[in-house]
Amino acid sequence: MSKSLKLLSAAAGLAILATSPAPAEDIKAGEKVFRKCKSCHAVGDNAKNKVGPQLNDLFGRTAGSIDGFKYSKAMKSAGVEGLVWDDESVGKYLEKPKAFLKGTKMAFAGLKKDKDVVNIIAYLKTFSVEGEEPVEKAAEAAKPENEEPKEQKVAIAAPAAGADVPDHGTYHLGRVALPAEIAAWDIDVRPDGTGLPVGKGTVAQGGAIYDEQCAVCHGSFGEGEGRWPVLAGGQGTLTEERPEKTIGSYWPYLSTVYDYVNRAMPFGNAQSLSDDDVYALTAYLLYLNDVVTDEEFELSNENFAEIRLPNEKNFFMDDREKEPQYSTTDEPCMSDCKPEPATVVMRARVLDVTPDGDEEGGAGAID
Amino acid sequence: MSDQPMDKTDLNADRRRFLRGGITAAGGLAAATLGARTASSATPDPLITEVQEWNQVLGDGVDAAPYGVPSEFEAHVVRRDVAWLTADPVSSVNFTPLHELDGIITPNGLCFERHHGGVAQISPADHRLMIHGLVDTPLVFTMQDLMRFPRENRIYFLECAANSGMEWRGAQLNGCQFTHGMVHNVMYTGVPLKLLLQEAGLKPNAAWLLPEGADASGMTRSIPLDKALDDCLVAFKMNGEALRPEQGYPVRLVVPGWEGNMWVKWLRRIEVGDQPWHHREETSKYTDLMADGKARRFTWTMDVKSVITNPSPQAPILHGRGHTVLTGLAWSGHGKIKRVDISIDGGRNWHSARIDGPSLSKSLHRFYYEFDWDGSELLLQSRAMDEFGNIQPTKNALRAVRGENSIYHNNGIQTWQVRSNGETENVEIS
Repeated sequence: MSKSLKLLSAAAGLAILATSPAPAEDIKAGEKVFRKCKSCHAVGDNAKNKVGPQLNDLFGRTAGSIDGFKYSKAMKSAGVEGLVWDDESVGKYLEKPKAFLKGTKMAFAGLKKDKDVVNIIAYLKTFSVEGEEPVEKAAEAAKPENEEPKEQKVAIAAPAAGADVPDHGTYHLGRVALPAEIAAWDIDVRPDGTGLPVGKGTVAQGGAIYDEQCAVCHGSFGEGEGRWPVLAGGQGTLTEERPEKTIGSYWPYLSTVYDYVNRAMPFGNAQSLSDDDVYALTAYLLYLNDVVTDEEFELSNENFAEIRLPNEKNFFMDDREKEPQYSTTDEPCMSDCKPEPATVVMRARVLDVTPDGDEEGGAGAID
Repeated sequence: MSDQPMDKTDLNADRRRFLRGGITAAGGLAAATLGARTASSATPDPLITEVQEWNQVLGDGVDAAPYGVPSEFEAHVVRRDVAWLTADPVSSVNFTPLHELDGIITPNGLCFERHHGGVAQISPADHRLMIHGLVDTPLVFTMQDLMRFPRENRIYFLECAANSGMEWRGAQLNGCQFTHGMVHNVMYTGVPLKLLLQEAGLKPNAAWLLPEGADASGMTRSIPLDKALDDCLVAFKMNGEALRPEQGYPVRLVVPGWEGNMWVKWLRRIEVGDQPWHHREETSKYTDLMADGKARRFTWTMDVKSVITNPSPQAPILHGRGHTVLTGLAWSGHGKIKRVDISIDGGRNWHSARIDGPSLSKSLHRFYYEFDWDGSELLLQSRAMDEFGNIQPTKNALRAVRGENSIYHNNGIQTWQVRSNGETENVEIS
């Protein structure tokens, strides 16, 4: 019997007899489904918080209540508002985590099959004192499997020191990245829409989020406070002395807006927005830039790639080597290179923007 | 000429006055003159004739400074920022004091900083580097894993693409620290990125990489695979010791010769793909707007460039006429520096400078030009050439081709005007 299965029966021993116990085959099937969760969630004896919180005694637990685990804001406030995990709430959450709880940081996309949800709940309940599993059933479920699937073997062997030597590469260093780990970090989006999560949000929804979270730096209409970035306007200024480079006037691709807001905004509270929030904000930024004009416009992963920003065509690949100073074979002039003595035509001191002076601010910002 | 001995503090006060443009009369220069006094003075120097405190009293023991710091007399040698450049110091830049340094290596604590979400503080035990995407085996490395790959030691300059970016519209900042200080040069110890990619195994359609930082800005840039396989390093040491937190501790990407923004710090992930990602730092920023309103993208290489660090506005000539050492730095993202020419008359006549110290590809080069200053006004310029025939252009030549709105990649020839009192200023000339 494997260690985890021993733990399982021990936990089940604590279980209170319930009226309608889950069949052992459900528990066993649930254990298989739980493999998708294992890289982030632990259960059983000494289960610790990992990427996600440990799941012992989940049923009856208030959401966001394990001390020392860094929950999303959304999860914490759901708990404060009274969300307690039971069959129904766990089921709904696992079906579509981000739809059930906007702002959850659980990267898992959700279980598509109802049967998987039922089975995983049956399995998780065997680790809950509130659980419903009689001892005999759990023991039956605890029969070891003859063949460990390959996927699980990798998951267990890889992180442990002294485990099987992996066979990848030349040096066999590092371990295999788990799908859940890749999903947690792989948030980047490309212009063709690759990487966009499922989600949607309207201009109006985005406006509300913007006013609350973005306007303090970027201004009510994207005009920018102080030297914080201007987000809107500036169309037609790119050839002027002071070009205003905004999403509408300069940025080539909408995917950049989604990706950047999602990874780095709000400044100082990065990655706190839900996917739907980011869609809504992106829609609102399109609205502020007059790319869309309807407040009811809804941006989603479905229509995202259809949206084009006005300045896309005005970018071209680096061609500096065509300029005369590149790859010359001529020796540069060494004497009498100018007909007249050089004269000073401009001085830094006139502007007086060097620190230590009483500078107010110079002309060219660099960020 | 003053009979009062001058110490460094007075010198620094004088430098500050210089910076503010406070010294206008020749008398100010005399007060600031250091070395010339002893030659003509008949009065014995009390620093020699009298026993000094440090001759007599014991200094600190070996337990006083477990991690050594510079002399208290060097307290003015610091990175400095320009508050008005950015909205907030958390997403900003400071500048290397080039005028206070010599040789080619930048001390770790003086390497300029540029970050977009503050300095992440990450325990190496908690750091992971993931390689995934178009690979055979997506991998996660711990720092321990990285240390088990074969390492290389390489000296490279890192220059921000916006170095000198404030000078496109003309002379603005008075000091090479501010005009050219977004560059540093250190020896990196790290693992060739190629080895890490090979460990994961590249798919046939792999063509681009997306390195990503673990900081609050989640910095990303698209890098073509060829560059990664050529000379990129995943580095954990600079100048022999661990990376400083502000330089990406515990691990950063090194992209030799290419703009500093691509050298992703706190490197936690490298995705392998078949197309570039066009993320924020390669679209809205780090693209070069031309006069016609179109913009260059993927301007990766930092071009051939040089600057005279001494004399310069923060380092005026304090010794008066006579033998004068002019020195500066030259570099090229294409390769080695072949030659640096110096003009003291605003580019009418040029003299080749002496390059001293190691001449390494994509590294700073130190040059010297010694001359006998007759006390007349000077217009100092340096012009670098690299081994591939690329020549540093004048600022006006650049403006003629690119306009004044590029922000990035200003490698134009810098002019310093030295007045007869030694005072030096950032100027533009005809």
